[in-house]
Amino acid sequence: MQMTDFPPALVLLSGALLLPFLKGKLRWVVAFALPVLALADAWQIITEGADSYIPFLGMQLNPVHVHAPTPVFATVFAIMVAGGLLFSMNQKTEHELPAVCVYAGGALGVLFAGDLVTMFIFWEVMTLGSTVIIWSGRQADSEGSGLRYFGLHAVGGVLLLMGIVIVVQQRIASGDPDPLAFRHFESMVSLWSSFGWDSAGMWLVMLGMLVNAGAPPFSAWVPDAYPEGSSSGTVFLSAFTTKTAVFTLMVAFAGVEPLIYLGLWMALYGIVYAILENDMRRILAYSIINQVGFMLVGIGVGTKLAIDGASAHAFAHIIYKALLLMSAGSVLAATGKRKCTELGGLYRTMPITMWCGIIGALAISSFPLTSGFTTKSMIAQSVTEQAALLADAGLSHNHLIVTWFILEAASAGVFLHAGIKFPWFVFFQKDSGLRPPDPPWNMRAAMIGFAAICIFLGVFPGPLYQILPYQAEAAEYAKVVYGVGHVLIMLSLLLFSGLAFFVLLPMLKRTETITLDFDWIWRRFIPHFWRDVLLPLLQGLDRAQKAVLEWLPSSASDDGNLPAQVRRRLPGNWAVSVPVFVIVLMLLTYLVVYFWLLPA
Amino acid sequence: MKYQLTPTEKKLVRIAWIVGLLVLSAIVVVELFMHHHAHFEKDGITIDTLPEFYPIYGFGASFVLVVFAKTLAIALKRKDTFYADD
Repeated sequence: MQMTDFPPALVLLSGALLLPFLKGKLRWVVAFALPVLALADAWQIITEGADSYIPFLGMQLNPVHVHAPTPVFATVFAIMVAGGLLFSMNQKTEHELPAVCVYAGGALGVLFAGDLVTMFIFWEVMTLGSTVIIWSGRQADSEGSGLRYFGLHAVGGVLLLMGIVIVVQQRIASGDPDPLAFRHFESMVSLWSSFGWDSAGMWLVMLGMLVNAGAPPFSAWVPDAYPEGSSSGTVFLSAFTTKTAVFTLMVAFAGVEPLIYLGLWMALYGIVYAILENDMRRILAYSIINQVGFMLVGIGVGTKLAIDGASAHAFAHIIYKALLLMSAGSVLAATGKRKCTELGGLYRTMPITMWCGIIGALAISSFPLTSGFTTKSMIAQSVTEQAALLADAGLSHNHLIVTWFILEAASAGVFLHAGIKFPWFVFFQKDSGLRPPDPPWNMRAAMIGFAAICIFLGVFPGPLYQILPYQAEAAEYAKVVYGVGHVLIMLSLLLFSGLAFFVLLPMLKRTETITLDFDWIWRRFIPHFWRDVLLPLLQGLDRAQKAVLEWLPSSASDDGNLPAQVRRRLPGNWAVSVPVFVIVLMLLTYLVVYFWLLPA
Repeated sequence: MKYQLTPTEKKLVRIAWIVGLLVLSAIVVVELFMHHHAHFEKDGITIDTLPEFYPIYGFGASFVLVVFAKTLAIALKRKDTFYADD
């Protein structure tokens, strides 16, 4: 077996098997070797460009394949793992490190998946790893939010698998020589507005991917689950799930118009909810949705420059978002507090954490000389270029004009909700009386390293542009990115957004509240509907059954007749019922797909 | 007890305000004379070439977003123990 036959994912997954048996320094030496080896392997494969195949259950799987955006995503994933590990060295929990390897391994596996089955397998591996990271968080609601996260992603996985089954079946029926291939769904670009059988599989695949991207109505899992990770766990969580979804959407659905509208919705939704949020890590979680929204717009536009912009923005976003969450994680680790109402004035004793947080905040706001400026602006540029092309061709492009104006407004809004709000409420605002020191050296080093990358990519975007999917377009863009007009537009938008922040500060004063979202349906409505309507109904039926037929088994929803020893071992009702519900749903869905949906 | 800023901190806050206002003023002045190209000229949309368009748009967009968020909050805001209380 050659090096190029070995999927980089397996480097990290092997590490996950090995790390639980290692202690002390050796554990960390091996841990740090993993992303380095994975990156070396990834680039060996990227350079050679050769595919590898393995037989599996009668199929030819293709776990080593390089898609156009694979190099840029693989590189940033490896950097993220290394930086995150450095930040997490003080973490006491034993489970987090192997779970991170499983999670990042799954993500890397998706990047190199040449077929839909391999992609799906690694997709699910990622869900398992990330769920364990949330459960390792030891926050107040880690267990519950991890369970909800798992349930929702299992549903997303079912949608994805249903879509894959239908798509493969359709390809086989049409005589496609490579029905399993994970490639662009060309027909989706024109078929998206039809909801017939022809586009059903593609729609389901896209929906499955959109669940992981945090698209509406599933956005709420991001602020629900990510802040429940540990101070370091959330740093990892922010990097892989949503960005892997961005990658897969980019490969499969570039140019599909609804993604533009979803992206715009997410960009605005993230701002509005973050404005109202009090928990510093939930603010940052909402801003992930906001930023992924920009990427989805790029994917929806689908031109070469737009795909470059979305890829470059994903790279920059992973780094600055990790930096922001490292800054927030350092505050959490030092103070044990997450709410803006309990924080403030930390600039006095945490200057490094503050400066790194500010650099991350400037980068997410696309401030000139930071990575956000040299990447996100590509997406807006692609919108205007595409609009001009369509105008020349006499085609409708009003939606792109509206898109551009909303993107500019959203760019201003990013500065408002993340660029100023996060550093202001955490490090300045009022004196909370807290005087924690900056975190230990490794956490400071990780933050400083990531802050340096944010500035480096803002000043010298060339190396990043060289690994983008379409280098010629990126090289052209490099010539105009620092044009005077371009810089001035961004400064005007951002600084006057900053002025609005301080003018409206009384309205932005934090309260100990949350803002309801779609997750109200599965967190409040369904449990209450079960408790107050369905359960009494079933219990009533049960009593009626008993009265009529004494031999019928007693209520399945009541474990009261189990032996006391067994009952003690059972977790709460919801801990059992959610996985059972999900598994039953999956089985039913498979049955539906196999026996009804598939044409004979 | 409300924290009293030290003399150095008071000085820094004053400097921050002065620098901030100077930068904003500088942008207003430059925007007055800068001619931005129209992004959608072929469609006859030239609003983005007007002087001070971007400062006003940045401020206005932020203002609208905050007001919209606060309006939404009237219906959707709950105590942060809302789900924990179940």
